[in-house]
Amino acid sequence: MREYETADTLFDIDRLLDKAINGDGDAFGRLYDMYVDRVYRHIYYRVSSTNDAEDLTQQVFIKAWQAIHRYKKTTSPFLAWLIKISQNLVIDFYRSKKTRTYIDFDVVATESKHDPAQLAEEQFGRYEIQQAINKLKGDQQQVVLMRFIEDFSFSEIAVALGKSQGAIRVILHRGLAKLKTILEKAQ
Amino acid sequence: MKKIEVILTQCLDDIREGRVSLEDCLNQYPEVRAELELLLKVALSIKAPIDIRPSNTFKVKARAELMNYIHTSQLRKKVKRSPGQLSIRYWWHIAWARATVIAVTVVLVISLAGTGTAYAAQSSLPGDTLYSVKLGIEQLQRIITFDEASEIELELKFADTRLDELEELVSVPVIQTANDEGSNNGVSAMSIINITVAEPEVVSIAKAARITIAVDGYQRNLNMAITKAANVVEGEILVEEVALTILSHLGRLDDIEGMALVDSQEIIADTRSVAINGHIRILQILATVNAVRATEINLLAMQVRLARADAEAVKGNIGGMEDALQEYEKLRRFGEGISNSTEMSGQDTISVDELNARATTEHMESLGSIYGNASQDAKGAVEQAIDVTIETHKQAVQGLQQQGAQGDIPTEPPMPDNIPQGDKGNTQDSESNNHGNNNK
Repeated sequence: MREYETADTLFDIDRLLDKAINGDGDAFGRLYDMYVDRVYRHIYYRVSSTNDAEDLTQQVFIKAWQAIHRYKKTTSPFLAWLIKISQNLVIDFYRSKKTRTYIDFDVVATESKHDPAQLAEEQFGRYEIQQAINKLKGDQQQVVLMRFIEDFSFSEIAVALGKSQGAIRVILHRGLAKLKTILEKAQ
Repeated sequence: MKKIEVILTQCLDDIREGRVSLEDCLNQYPEVRAELELLLKVALSIKAPIDIRPSNTFKVKARAELMNYIHTSQLRKKVKRSPGQLSIRYWWHIAWARATVIAVTVVLVISLAGTGTAYAAQSSLPGDTLYSVKLGIEQLQRIITFDEASEIELELKFADTRLDELEELVSVPVIQTANDEGSNNGVSAMSIINITVAEPEVVSIAKAARITIAVDGYQRNLNMAITKAANVVEGEILVEEVALTILSHLGRLDDIEGMALVDSQEIIADTRSVAINGHIRILQILATVNAVRATEINLLAMQVRLARADAEAVKGNIGGMEDALQEYEKLRRFGEGISNSTEMSGQDTISVDELNARATTEHMESLGSIYGNASQDAKGAVEQAIDVTIETHKQAVQGLQQQGAQGDIPTEPPMPDNIPQGDKGNTQDSESNNHGNNNK
């Protein structure tokens, strides 16, 4: 699932970033094309609503354009920087709603290659795990989601959450241990 | 000994990349085997449920709005008055009569802005008594705006206001009594300085008439923005701003149509025709100085129409889908016109042809989706659109071949898998699916 960046793509991104930082709107448009799916997915998993995810995704790119001249390539990968903006917007979103919805993985599958029995079994297991992830707190939930559902690298998660990679590994370890306990209790 | 969290993440990465099996990893770290096994099993049981992606419709619309935002924000920084324009304005400024009118106008605007009447007028709709006041205030704003960039921005802002009004009007029931609250003081005050303001409207008029007022106003504002932009010397960036704003209107009108009651849908289609004609007019102007940018914006508009056709096909609205495809075809033919005139004006034809050829991939992808979503009765219209798209691709490639610039662009356009062989145009049997230069 992870959209790996080849050396050529990384070169392209670097070039586009240089141009965008210097005010080239078209280059920023190309970066939008490259990252809109990942940003949308990240937000969707947190707000569980297509409309809200679309609104927030648009806001992320507007805010990114407003701040692009302050972006430093050497400090963080561009995707991680976008995700950091997304995180802040999602926090504001929940602050304004004063509610916290649960992560909803039950969306219509675009494709299924499984037979119905296998699918039912998988969905049952998925539901249990979804419930367990919902019970994780703060950073543990973020790290588990970003690593296993969204397929972010440790360095990307570290930048997005403003922590060291070592700290992210510790959080992941604790999150998985907690998840194991929750799943055991559920059985 | 390595810490458990380091071992855990290392094992997870290795297993996910297929470098080792779970068992290999456990054997490698016997001292933490028990804990590691449980954690790895939990971690490996977490899978992304499905590949979630935003819809193409959203992506295209959001991109157009983002680019509009970017270009508008850049425009504010870049646009400066030229010395020639300054001198014309200078004469305008020193005419004492004008100066008097401006002074009176400023006082009036300031005093009106502070009154409840002016405030209430801002939310009035066509057919309301206070709507005349609203238009009068707009006219005052025109009088006290002195540079072309601001004048154009003002007209575009007013065009947006007309769409706001349209949006509100189309979602109300057929007959609506116009709002006659408020006084006519503002109207009287403006008549003192000879500003054309309509007489207070009849209190109750039909919804269709009110919508027509908004649509006519939209057309007027758009025409004024286009005419002003066309007359600015070296005004490419202003022309582009108008073009991008009209592009955003196309998406907006789709949204308005989505929320409109059935009785208003025809008039919204008419409004879209106004916007599309405006789009064509402004791009004709832009193409004379920057055919590449004009082509880019036109291709974006074509993609917006395809996204619309797809959305209508999903809803099962054959008429809506066919309308959107016809608009796509109109814009495609216009794009051909840009391409042909580019050569005559001595501009960069390679970039224009390349843009057209590369855009075919996205267009064919969208057409494949529309074909899949369209009912059997509606597939014929999609097939026609596919055929003309193939033709556009062929023409663009031919242009590139003549200049030895085909590069990595395929000779044949990429065909969506779900299109039956018979509908894949006439290109499949005539030429091989060549990549690379086919120089003449």
